[in-house]
Amino acid sequence: MSDIRLEVKNVSKSFGITKALDDVSFNISKGEIHALIGENGSGKSTLTNSLSGIYHKDYGSFILDGKEVDPSNQVEANNEGISIIVQELGTLDGLTVAENIFLGHEDSFVKMGIKNTSAMNRKANELLKKYGFDRIKASDMIDDYNFEDRKLVEIVKATYFDPKIVVIDETTTALSREGRDELYKHMKRIKAEGNTVIFISHDLPEVLTLSDTITVLRDGVYIDTVKSSEIDEDGLKKLMVGRDVTGAYYRADYDEEVSSEVVMKVENVSVPGLISNINFELHKGEILGFGGLSESGMHEIGKACFGASFDRTGSVTLADGTHINDIPTAIAHSIAYTSKDRDNESLIMNQSIRDNICLPSLDKLSNKAHMLSDKKLKTFADEYAKQMSTKMQSVDQFVSNLSGGNKQKVVLARWIGKDSDILLLDSPTRGIDIKVKQDIYQLMDKMRKSGKSIIMISEELAELIGMCDRIIIMKDGLISGELPRSRDMDENSLIAKMV
Amino acid sequence: MKDSKAGELKKQFIYNLIRSSLPIIGLIAVCIVFNILTHGSMWNSRKLILNQIYVVMISATGVFFIMSMGGLDFSQGSILGIASIVVCLLSGVNIIVAIFGGILAGAAIGAFNAFFYVKRKIKSFIVTICTMFLFRGFIKYMASNSPVAASMKVYDYDTTAIKLGITAAVLIISFVVFRFTGFGIKLKAIGAGEKATKFAGVRTDRVKFLIYVLSGAITGLAAFVNIVKNGSATANVGSQLETQILIALVLGGMPISGGAKVRFENVIVGSLLYVVLTNGLIMMGLSTQMMQLIQGIVFLIFVAIFADRESLSVIK
Amino acid sequence: MYKSKESTGKKLSGQVKGYILLLLLVLISWGIFKIITPDNFGSPKNLLSYFEASLLAAVGAVGFYFVMVMGMFDFSIGANIMLSAIVGCVFANRFGLGYFGLVVGAIMTGAIVGLLNGAFYVRLRIPSMIVTTGLALIYESIANFIAGGVEQTLPSNLRAFGQMPGNLILAVMAFILAYLILNYTKIGTYTYAIGSNEFVAKNMGINVNLYKVLAFIISGAFLGVMAVLTISYGSSMVAVTGMASMSRNFIPTMGCFFGLAFKKYGMPIPAIIIGEFVINIIFFGFIALGAPTAVQDVITGLALLIIVTMTTNVAKGEIVK
Repeated sequence: MSDIRLEVKNVSKSFGITKALDDVSFNISKGEIHALIGENGSGKSTLTNSLSGIYHKDYGSFILDGKEVDPSNQVEANNEGISIIVQELGTLDGLTVAENIFLGHEDSFVKMGIKNTSAMNRKANELLKKYGFDRIKASDMIDDYNFEDRKLVEIVKATYFDPKIVVIDETTTALSREGRDELYKHMKRIKAEGNTVIFISHDLPEVLTLSDTITVLRDGVYIDTVKSSEIDEDGLKKLMVGRDVTGAYYRADYDEEVSSEVVMKVENVSVPGLISNINFELHKGEILGFGGLSESGMHEIGKACFGASFDRTGSVTLADGTHINDIPTAIAHSIAYTSKDRDNESLIMNQSIRDNICLPSLDKLSNKAHMLSDKKLKTFADEYAKQMSTKMQSVDQFVSNLSGGNKQKVVLARWIGKDSDILLLDSPTRGIDIKVKQDIYQLMDKMRKSGKSIIMISEELAELIGMCDRIIIMKDGLISGELPRSRDMDENSLIAKMV
Repeated sequence: MKDSKAGELKKQFIYNLIRSSLPIIGLIAVCIVFNILTHGSMWNSRKLILNQIYVVMISATGVFFIMSMGGLDFSQGSILGIASIVVCLLSGVNIIVAIFGGILAGAAIGAFNAFFYVKRKIKSFIVTICTMFLFRGFIKYMASNSPVAASMKVYDYDTTAIKLGITAAVLIISFVVFRFTGFGIKLKAIGAGEKATKFAGVRTDRVKFLIYVLSGAITGLAAFVNIVKNGSATANVGSQLETQILIALVLGGMPISGGAKVRFENVIVGSLLYVVLTNGLIMMGLSTQMMQLIQGIVFLIFVAIFADRESLSVIK
Repeated sequence: MYKSKESTGKKLSGQVKGYILLLLLVLISWGIFKIITPDNFGSPKNLLSYFEASLLAAVGAVGFYFVMVMGMFDFSIGANIMLSAIVGCVFANRFGLGYFGLVVGAIMTGAIVGLLNGAFYVRLRIPSMIVTTGLALIYESIANFIAGGVEQTLPSNLRAFGQMPGNLILAVMAFILAYLILNYTKIGTYTYAIGSNEFVAKNMGINVNLYKVLAFIISGAFLGVMAVLTISYGSSMVAVTGMASMSRNFIPTMGCFFGLAFKKYGMPIPAIIIGEFVINIIFFGFIALGAPTAVQDVITGLALLIIVTMTTNVAKGEIVK
């Protein structure tokens, strides 16, 4: 390798009982886009967060241009020449655009304790103009701008001072096509200026086209660094998983007839600002997929069918004529829902696995006098948690101590215990390692065969293609297309309908 | 890795053990210490002390339900006050009517709280400090010139059997319902994660509303015991009850944000500990301000020990 | 996809809109009582005295705003005012330090109480309203010890801050100071940043705990100023116990809710000042109607409840505890 920008040396970091990074060492060069990939929980974000001062590493060192850096927060990292654009929203409500851009760096505008607001706004406007984001005004409240524009402000914030390293952590998933292009442009500019971009993404084709070098992490351990010109998607997958991903990953059948029996009918469903005029039917034993960009409104479909949306209009009707308008009715009629926001909407984190599994089934578990016995609850929870092969000490353990995959298993155990017939699975494999993913795919296939119906909402097109009998694509809150299961379907035909 | 996990769990186990045993140990210790310091006069006045426990313990049961869900209620004193006045006014008619009148009055104020908290989505502590003040105004207005006196009939009911009986009945029913039906699991689940509980099919808003009504009703029942004891309602009736309940529950080991670590024992141990502690300090001849100073310090120490910080990602 | 907007024009009109709304509130509240009791309410002279009375709470409220914007709460406001006023009075009177003792004593005490609130809250990691409830018990008893159970009276030659122009000068100085801190220092920016999202603020290198404690200190110091105005206006202060000081919490808290509601118009401090004025118009309106004193409590409780109900705007599905 040519001249080295950053040496990562024996970096380790633990969170309580889990070791997120284990003795990781590798080098990153100047003037390159260096991708960092791995399954969820492989330690990518932990590494970059430690580098940029959000976390503090336990052992090891980062050597930037021959000098050790050890920032204790983002501002110190910025001063060392390291900046980061985080996955979530990194701008703050209640502050102006300019205040957001210079947050933590106000000192250059402060004289004797007094902040020169107009100088700050002027500087911010100059920067915004330079970046071509003229329509964003420095003195406006950031609250007035949408997610996309706020991400653009973050790009300015992270790069205006020409840092030596810019970390971009899974930002692209949240952006529309225009936003992504804007980001790519700036990544390439940074590279051309001789600085380095560390790029974290799940989107392997994106990684391959954009980056020069790729480093793979697995379970907190460094695996390999490869040139993107010398590897393909399958090779990367193999490195990420650590074994060949066999063909039996998804379901294998292609020509099975789906029953014509309709179990759920969705008519003219709209939720203000999210989805409008949605119509479809779900058949018995069918896996119906919903795909689209994350802001396309597809995530609201699950909530709408579960009676969990606010101000929903239109009707969701079951085969027996029941209208689903609230959650308790939905559950009573054998509908299950797993949320994309697993930690807040699906699971009660600081509560035992037992109570999490039993909660919707309490009526079934109580005797005629509405009394419950601890033993019965425990046996019930234990049975379904074990059926899902959840890794745990006991069902009395709190859910918060489980890994992402095991958390999802608890959610699924809850609904299997309830014996639900219609499953609304929103991003069921999000943040889950490949082994558990495979378990979930097999479970879905088994359920389908036993006559249960599944709606699968996912941002991963590969799993939609691999698992669904039908895929509905959404765009801007509307249905933009529908595709039947076929061997020939590829991601590009779906993407064409998404953007 | 397996070992560190087991070690972590063991640490948690020991911590939970301390958590559950500290209030009981504290109660025993306080009893022994004060009996020695007062040369046994505390034990001799046990009947007097017991007499102070009833109201606090009954109304603490309702607040316990509220706090299990992560809510707060500062209006308990005013609920007791209004309900006491209602009991007094109706006691001339019929004692059964008076009891139900008190319960109904309490439930009505509970519903008033619940309306603003559940329907208008205003933080529970804000709602209840407002209603505390609001209804205290009514009490002052009703009892400003002279206390509202109950009919002489109520004194017939001033026996340990009745007062203790009512208290025990409230505690036993509440315990069984909380511990052995889905009710307790649901309340704790709301305290630990309301959104997820809603998505698991619990009608959280309805439960929250009903709990505030129930808690008001329970305190309304406590008002009957209060009137039986005192015979009349003054302008100060029930004032500070909310602080007493809060301190009592905290002393009993109640995590301030509710959730999974809540135990029904918190009510019983806490109320006993609180009443024994205050009476012991009074017997020691401490001034009001000195007692309040000690109360404040003990309160802070116990809150700090029992706070369930994992469920509060951001502490406001 | 992208929305276009007129930035400066919209901003100005936002502030104008806020002022119009507030003036309407003043007019309506004045109008209603003027119609019911035209004789003993609402002359210009009366209005001036209502305004004078509203200055007290407005000063406390602008300080408390720093705490509320961060999403925290303080139950010890009343105890703080009581303690600060008594200490100020003792300094001025018993120690013979005059005005200097009154002002410095009260503000220092207020700031120390704020420091304690902040320090305990940050160190113990317990919700602020619970910590301050416990601390309020302690402050009340300390005030009681200092006062020795006797009403503390400020000598008549030290009451310049109880009337025009003394009170106005002190209050206006406090308002300007709060405005400067909020708009022209890092503290202001960081206050809003922490109020918006603590995690992000922390990641930006903001020492969140430090600024939280600072907010409590600022709030405490302003409550100290309010204590000076309160004891000068009312001439004496009794040290109550048993959380009775809580009744002093209400009026500053109400003003704060006005500030929070008008934050989006970019004019929180004027909103607090005018808001307190409106509250006082309503109070004096009821007094003019001859409502008994007990009913005042009813009005206070109900008024805060209504103000909060009107100013709170909760997003759908948001969890409120």
